[in-house]
Amino acid sequence: MYREFVTVLRREALKWVRVPIWVASYFVVPILYLVLFGQAFDLARLFPAGEDGSLYVRAALLGAPNYFSYFAVGMVAFVTLTASLYSGTGILFDKQLGIHPRMTATPAPRSALFAGSLTFRAFSAAWPAFLALGFALAFEGVPGLAGLSVRSSVSALGVGEIVAAEVLLAIMFTALFLSFGYVLNSNEAYFGITSLLNLPILFTSNAMFPQGTMPPWLQTVTAYNPASMATNVMRENLFQTSGYPYPPEVYLLGLLAWAVVLVALGLYLSARSLRVQ
Amino acid sequence: MGAAVTCENLGKTFPGGVEAVTSVSLDVAHGEIYGFLGPNGAGKTTMISMLTTLLRPTHGTAEVEGIDVVREPERVRRRIGLVFQRSTSDDALTGRENLEIIAGLHGISPRAARPRIRELLERLDLVEAADRRVGAYSGGMRRRLEIAAGIVHAPSLLFLDEPTLGLDPQGRAGFWQYIRELRSENGMTIFLTTHYLDEADQLSDRVSIIDHGRVLRTDSPVALKESLGSDIVLVQPSDPSRDLASLLGAIPGVASVEPRSPEGAYRVRVARSESFVPAVVRACDAAGVELAGVSTRKPSLDEVFLTLTGREYREESEANHHAAPGASSPGGR
Repeated sequence: MYREFVTVLRREALKWVRVPIWVASYFVVPILYLVLFGQAFDLARLFPAGEDGSLYVRAALLGAPNYFSYFAVGMVAFVTLTASLYSGTGILFDKQLGIHPRMTATPAPRSALFAGSLTFRAFSAAWPAFLALGFALAFEGVPGLAGLSVRSSVSALGVGEIVAAEVLLAIMFTALFLSFGYVLNSNEAYFGITSLLNLPILFTSNAMFPQGTMPPWLQTVTAYNPASMATNVMRENLFQTSGYPYPPEVYLLGLLAWAVVLVALGLYLSARSLRVQ
Repeated sequence: MGAAVTCENLGKTFPGGVEAVTSVSLDVAHGEIYGFLGPNGAGKTTMISMLTTLLRPTHGTAEVEGIDVVREPERVRRRIGLVFQRSTSDDALTGRENLEIIAGLHGISPRAARPRIRELLERLDLVEAADRRVGAYSGGMRRRLEIAAGIVHAPSLLFLDEPTLGLDPQGRAGFWQYIRELRSENGMTIFLTTHYLDEADQLSDRVSIIDHGRVLRTDSPVALKESLGSDIVLVQPSDPSRDLASLLGAIPGVASVEPRSPEGAYRVRVARSESFVPAVVRACDAAGVELAGVSTRKPSLDEVFLTLTGREYREESEANHHAAPGASSPGGR
């Protein structure tokens, strides 16, 4: 199992480095989001300083010193989502190009085929998010740019929780979209489903908009969205605020539950897809 | 020691009621080259997919190296190699990397795989191209890489599904030379499907002729041809309206005179074409019949197919090919 797993991992890595524009996009996209979107979009600026509305927005940011800082952490979740969206396309193309039958004709355990792809794709979805976090922190020192301002007292445990939240988020989104690659046979269906899920996942989370500003029904949905849970873990640790209903550990447990469910679903669907008919 | 492949009443019906393989029973001996012949759409790919565990039979049983293909597919996969109809290699990777990946998926360590891959690349004349991406390979190079991928784990039984499809005559000859060597040097059992009857005739120890999902006959190519019991002479009168049936039937040595071909030629089965041809020329001359041509044919597998099905093999194959271009893909019947 281990050898087959490593083989799939190696194949994914080889294919990835063979397409430089693919690699480059992982570097460029987080910067574009932060520079073009993040610098222009500041909810607090919509209201004059000191006005009730502005105060309301600031209060809703739950300890984030400014909107960019709030937004940059949300971008980490969003970058993870967008980087994992195409995880299933490799499986889809393998099926169409005849590579899939060759792999299924080998005795490699089916779980190794899924786990190898999941591991590499989750890794490639997670590191651009860390990159985005790094860029946002670096912007703080660049004149003329808004940057991510965090408390200096972030503990090692807090950093560990941030990393764990991000990794769990990458694993669950990758498992979800890999499953679509196994289950679907047409590119149109795959891209249709990913388009259908992409924005709803983002807009039913608190990645961009403070949860407190949402209508009650949306607040309920947002509370269970894993992207919200991940950003809660990060914001609680980075801004050292107590305005959240639960401590980060509770949100981490929620993320773990999501990851277990979606990985189990992926294993089941991939096994069903790879089973002889 | 049992047979390399045995199956009893094996069949496959796809959802929607398409019966690709009706009921096939066969045995393939160890070290044998076994040809599974039939026109496109006859059920050859479905048959090979069931034997290689890629498709589950609807009914019947099949064992490969004594292992049930439904109950223990993983064990079967460890023992067999498969060369698909079309390329299954990854264009983004080099030929060597593709082989390393397949070896890894068979659980072979990189250290053990390295010399085996080197040997295969040398043997299949791919050393120079080994570190180039497969996307830049020619059709012949891709086919050779497919063989290497099929045998990188040194299986005892190799399935070849239409392996020379799309190759030029030189490429086909080279391909079959290597297959012969594999058998003679390693004693590998080879199960091949093809719709090229000539190459099956030259290569196979035994062949099964399949049509519409059923095996019509199984025997050695020589025995199948001898079963026809005669040579075939095509007699073409200059005047297509002239009836020569009784004249030809009266010539000594004639076994039968078959209905005219669409071109108007009589198809005459005779014991020895060498003595019949002068006799037919003399008889026609004496009767004042002008001949446009006389040609002889030794029995071939095409003739066997015609006798068994009542249809011309090549016409059937061509018609199916045009009617169902997808049939030659891995998912084809």
